[in-house]
Amino acid sequence: MRKQLENLQSQALEEVERASSAHELEEIRVKILGKKGMLTHLLRGLKDVADAERPELGTIANVLKETFNAALAARMQVLQHQEMQDRLASERIDVSLPGRVPHGGGLHPVRQALTEMIEIFLQMGFPAMSGPEVESDWHNFGALNIPPDHPAREMHDTFYLHPGRDGKQRVLRTHTSPVQIRVMESQKPPIRVIAPGKVYRCDSDLTHTPMFHQVEGLLVDRDVHFGQLMGFIETFLRRFFERQLPVRFRPSFFPFTEPSTEVDMGCLFCEGSGCRICKGSGWIEILGAGLVHPNVLGNVGIDKEMYSGFAFGVGVERMAMLKYGIGDLRTFYENDVRFLAHHARGRGV
Amino acid sequence: MKVTRSWLLEHWEGDWDAEAVGRRLTQAGLEVASITRLDKGLERVVVGRLLEVGKHPDADRLTVCRVDVGDEELTIVCGARNHKAGDHVAVAREGAELPNGLKIVKSRIRGQTSQGMLASETELGMASSSEGILVLSPETIPGTSLAQVLGRDDDLIELELTPNRGDCLGVRGIARELAALTGSNLRPLAPQVAVNDMARAEIRIEHPTGCPRYAGRVIRGLTVAPSPAWLKNRLEAVGLRSINSVVDVTNFILLDLNHPMHAFDLGQLELPLVVRSAFPGEKLTLLNGSTVELGPDNLLIADGRRPLALAGIMGGQDTGVTGATTDIFLECAYFSPTLVTRTGRNLGILSDSRYRFERGIDPMGLTLAMERATELILSICGGRAGPITLAENGTWKLGAPIPLRYDRINRLAGIDLSPAAMDALLERLGCRKTVVGGLTCFQPPSHRHDVTLEEDLLEEVVRVHGYDQVTRVLPRVETRPAEVNPRETFSRMLPRRMAALGYLEAVNYSFIGESLQHRFDPDVVAEKLLNPISEDMAVLRTSLCPGLLESARHNLSRGNLDLRLFEVGKVFLPGQDHLMEKERLAGLIAGEAYQRAWHTHSRMVDFFDLKGDVQQLAASLGCSGLTFVAGGPEFLHPGQKATFHDLENNAPIGWIGMLHPEQQRFLDLPQALFLFELDTDRLHACRPTSNKSDGSLSRFPALERDFAFMVDDGIGAGAFMAAMSGIEPGLIQDVRLIDVYRGETLPDGKKSFAIRCVFRALDHTLTDQEAQELCGRIIETAFRLFGARQR
Repeated sequence: MRKQLENLQSQALEEVERASSAHELEEIRVKILGKKGMLTHLLRGLKDVADAERPELGTIANVLKETFNAALAARMQVLQHQEMQDRLASERIDVSLPGRVPHGGGLHPVRQALTEMIEIFLQMGFPAMSGPEVESDWHNFGALNIPPDHPAREMHDTFYLHPGRDGKQRVLRTHTSPVQIRVMESQKPPIRVIAPGKVYRCDSDLTHTPMFHQVEGLLVDRDVHFGQLMGFIETFLRRFFERQLPVRFRPSFFPFTEPSTEVDMGCLFCEGSGCRICKGSGWIEILGAGLVHPNVLGNVGIDKEMYSGFAFGVGVERMAMLKYGIGDLRTFYENDVRFLAHHARGRGV
Repeated sequence: MKVTRSWLLEHWEGDWDAEAVGRRLTQAGLEVASITRLDKGLERVVVGRLLEVGKHPDADRLTVCRVDVGDEELTIVCGARNHKAGDHVAVAREGAELPNGLKIVKSRIRGQTSQGMLASETELGMASSSEGILVLSPETIPGTSLAQVLGRDDDLIELELTPNRGDCLGVRGIARELAALTGSNLRPLAPQVAVNDMARAEIRIEHPTGCPRYAGRVIRGLTVAPSPAWLKNRLEAVGLRSINSVVDVTNFILLDLNHPMHAFDLGQLELPLVVRSAFPGEKLTLLNGSTVELGPDNLLIADGRRPLALAGIMGGQDTGVTGATTDIFLECAYFSPTLVTRTGRNLGILSDSRYRFERGIDPMGLTLAMERATELILSICGGRAGPITLAENGTWKLGAPIPLRYDRINRLAGIDLSPAAMDALLERLGCRKTVVGGLTCFQPPSHRHDVTLEEDLLEEVVRVHGYDQVTRVLPRVETRPAEVNPRETFSRMLPRRMAALGYLEAVNYSFIGESLQHRFDPDVVAEKLLNPISEDMAVLRTSLCPGLLESARHNLSRGNLDLRLFEVGKVFLPGQDHLMEKERLAGLIAGEAYQRAWHTHSRMVDFFDLKGDVQQLAASLGCSGLTFVAGGPEFLHPGQKATFHDLENNAPIGWIGMLHPEQQRFLDLPQALFLFELDTDRLHACRPTSNKSDGSLSRFPALERDFAFMVDDGIGAGAFMAAMSGIEPGLIQDVRLIDVYRGETLPDGKKSFAIRCVFRALDHTLTDQEAQELCGRIIETAFRLFGARQR
């Protein structure tokens, strides 16, 4: 019996050592320790062994069991490790293969610029409002201090429509300024608002498209002054272009503001030393602004002695061209997907 | 407005520094667009005298000339034929770079050395075409620079004036402004005219408001001839053509003093002259040769017999000054800006005169302009001048003095100027300080029509003081949060959602061709533009699709075949009593659904790619459960189009489908396209009204059961699935169509739907028995409603 136990031990350990998979190892365990296993079978013979010998044999059998289990565990660890290694090796991929990329969409550059501007103005306390694109002559011109025969009308190449049912002249709005009027007609000061949107002028060449986008802004409150307009515009421009560029104000003329100003910004491309983009001047004309004309305030029933206001208008295409480095205005309206995809890339809007 | 340095310096006493003058004017609101040298390209061109003109030994058509250019004698080979020994010519010397870009180098022509070139007017940029070389007056001195001879030794200043500054449309006006800005002087202008004792010409103003002041005078016995060089040079330097001495003088006064004048041939009319409205249908042939038909809205200068000139715009052909004219009637008037604008616009006539009257000339400057013009005409053309007639009807008055509050100016401008400084500044501009009823007032000069309000004075003060002197600060605002309109926020969200779905945003014009609009939306009469830019931009769009299809066509023609485009914008629909502007969202896909890659086979996009995107868009905005019903616009494929609705099945939110193959062929598009368009108001309306979700998620496990049903081919999946979902909405959480099969194992006219149902209760784990019961009801309902049999 003792001999048999010793033989079993050496046979079992040998088989464990030879096992080449976890599965095989399990089979060996069953073969030795299972209900019908060899050790189980052998130990059944213990009842026939003399009492004196039994404790010693029992001890030997226990040692055998422990040794076998330990060998089994050790071997299992080796084999599991091996199997993991094999699996990992077999699952190796070429990580340089291209990924499955979903369709890349994006916003039109005009929309991007518009979105950025709306966001900045909102942060400055100016929410966006919209208004109709087909406007009455009054809202587009009359209320803005541009009477029918004013030469300033020639600055606006207007698209006309048939008069409406009420017989009044209708136009495609030439600026988003009429939204100013609509807001001032319906709200009391203090008023803070911007009006982004499409505008139309009857002009089409290298640097003009018959439709383009504007953002108009308006502040009406007590003691609004020209220096505030300047500070506001300068702050906005520096935020939008993310650069501390010089900003210059020049007198100009708009019928709906007095005094009026044209705003120039140091050229983004040459930093003011003069280049093709700024035609050598070092300055880029960027927007128009001014204090709201007293006649405009009068037209909407706001007392000019109590309130004053400033207004400004920015061309969105121009801002987009400068910020995103787009050279040709007309590409905006061709909607070429290569252009659109190129300008959608990497923009956080 | 163009002006030359030398001309400006005739009026202004300041020191010339091109850059400083340019900056000062620009900073005061008279934008200087450019200052250029007029002699550009003429730097190495001089007067030469031909000493000898000989034949070229080896070329019949060429001559070899010996030319005296002052400091030396040159040999020049020339191909022209209009020159002879003794002529004075323009010699482009070695190193010259002519206005047309030609560079002059020493060369050998057929074996003969040529040290320069004899230049033609074309080569010198003086004319667009010319014959032979330029032959100069024999009085010119060899060696003198040609620029000097032509009066081009000068700078050209180009100003971009705003419409309010009509007073600067004359050289003297600019000089006056410059003098005020720099504190230097304007040279006095005091023309001397010997007036002859002849009868005063009679002028009657018969229009109540159109002509407040009219000055006229007769000059007799003059000789019309070509203008002297100085006058010609003045006009040509700023781009005007010289016509004859009398006309040139009137043009000169227009540019110099900003007074449009007109000279009538006195022999062709009978005094007295009348300023009156035209009779209905009255016709006049103008100096430009066109005949216009007039009416009572138009103002005329006429004699007793016929109309002579269109007031403020253009003279008549019959009474224009010609070489044969000896007596003239000279006009210098102030016509109403409104009237001139209307007439000019209605008749479509642009002229330098109209441009100036529209912006308002100085009504008090008529006599001075008349005297100066007369002085010039007498000195150039001879003749005898009669006395000036000044007709007035009292409708023009100098504006009332404007009250000015110094503190208000400072407060609105954000500056701090003393009253004395403001006074000085305004007085320099010609404003006169007065005190009316205890108020400080300023009377603007008669040439500043644009200054009528206190705010106008404010602008003058800040402008001259300098915008750069204003301290820039930020406005004080309340902490009240900005009022944001949720509907507009929704609209601004749409483009981002579409971009997230992999679509690129297109922006198209709001107008399209009428025939295209009609093709896509035949039931809607689009709003027409009265003055469209072109036929294909003639009406306001009633749908975004034609524009998107145009974008698709542009891309396909450039080989961009895989398209996923969208647009958000307004369409314009005729309503009951006014035009309705509706915001729409449209999308278009074409080409491959995925790019062929190592991991996937490509396939072409189909209806369901687009439908899925529409569903995903709606779901992401909170409007889940769109229903799609077969049908939609005519330009879509009849078998692949649908309208979609919210769950209550209200009016359609939009439609979706494949472009009809006939439309595809008509538009010449090489591949199939799928489109959708929706009304964003209706999409917005079917969003949940609250941000709070109703119901909660079940914590209990779900059971899945799959079924296969055989149904008639005509049964729609949408209705079938809706019916299954509706059996027990509380327990049947989801019904998914996992397969649609037609084929050999099924009889003709039949198809199989395989559906997967997910059962789940909110409050307990479903038992097998409950699941069994639901299965039974599904099978029963499918049979009862659709005749479906389980396979």
